[in-house]
Amino acid sequence: MTFAQALFMGLLQGASELFPVSSLGHAVLVPSLLHWSFRQSDPSFLPFLVLLHLGTATALVVLYRHEWVEIVRGFFTAAVRGQMKTESERLAMLLLVGTIPAAVLGVFLESRIKSLFASPYEAAGFLVANGALMLGFEAVRRRRESGATRAEQEARFGAAERISFPAAAIVGACQALAFLPGISRSGITIGGGLVAGLRHEEAARFSFLLATPVILGAGLIEVPQLFARGVPVGEYALAAVLAAIAAYASARFLLRYFRSGRLDPYGWYCIVAGLAGLALLHFNL
Amino acid sequence: MKSSGFAVALGVLGVIFVIVALLYAVGVLQIATSSTSGPHYKHAVLFAVLAVASFVGANFARPKAAV
Repeated sequence: MTFAQALFMGLLQGASELFPVSSLGHAVLVPSLLHWSFRQSDPSFLPFLVLLHLGTATALVVLYRHEWVEIVRGFFTAAVRGQMKTESERLAMLLLVGTIPAAVLGVFLESRIKSLFASPYEAAGFLVANGALMLGFEAVRRRRESGATRAEQEARFGAAERISFPAAAIVGACQALAFLPGISRSGITIGGGLVAGLRHEEAARFSFLLATPVILGAGLIEVPQLFARGVPVGEYALAAVLAAIAAYASARFLLRYFRSGRLDPYGWYCIVAGLAGLALLHFNL
Repeated sequence: MKSSGFAVALGVLGVIFVIVALLYAVGVLQIATSSTSGPHYKHAVLFAVLAVASFVGANFARPKAAV
């Protein structure tokens, strides 16, 4: 991988990680469409991915730095007391409950699933499925909405702290679907949050908070890979900085967008991009 | 769910998770791993987190004395 390709991949990963369009799907599909020769399944690619994920996780930690201080404090307070009394204590426990299924499935299934479905064809196919899922989540949501304006439609739905514990566990477990290249982690969790009764903006906030420990943990555990011989850590670190900047800008944009926006445009984008990818791969363009 | 029995069961589960985490960390346990030798820190961290969650759950399930 050249330096320019590394920077491009950093930008792509950072931008697409938080948008509900699947970073893994794009990372598998785009290099193939550009006829780049490296593969995500290649072991030498792992240190690069580790740094990109650390960049994305850092962006999320910076974005929610004040909230994370409250969440960590709330976790220890509630854990020692054996009771939840504040909203941040409840949110801390919801994130724990949502993270555990994703972590269990990630440790035991991630590498097997990724190696089974690593081809660009499958990534394009799953991207179409991801688009259909986004449209499906919004269809389910619309049936429960009332009111003329978007503000009225969102008013009867709740904040992230109000999601139930079983719903948090289910939404967390659904993150495992994102091991399939083309299925978006943020898309699944935002959609799950919508179905569980959260406002769009709150579903995005819950999704980003839920993603942080998983992305950060997975990255930190693999840090020793960075010290393998021949890894250009400096070049990869620059790509990670780009990923972090892109992820931060994406998160800020999405939180603003979801005040009144929906998942539909991303659903249609995934369907069109997936079908276009399938066509380009089929005709070898 | 508040009950002493449930709290004790979660506490025991937590202890089991700690032991499993240690066995993965020292490389004794090789179940469901990608390689068949050496320590598996990813699995060890996971079971350590599960242990913490179990102990937290046990504390939540423990009946509290009325103040």
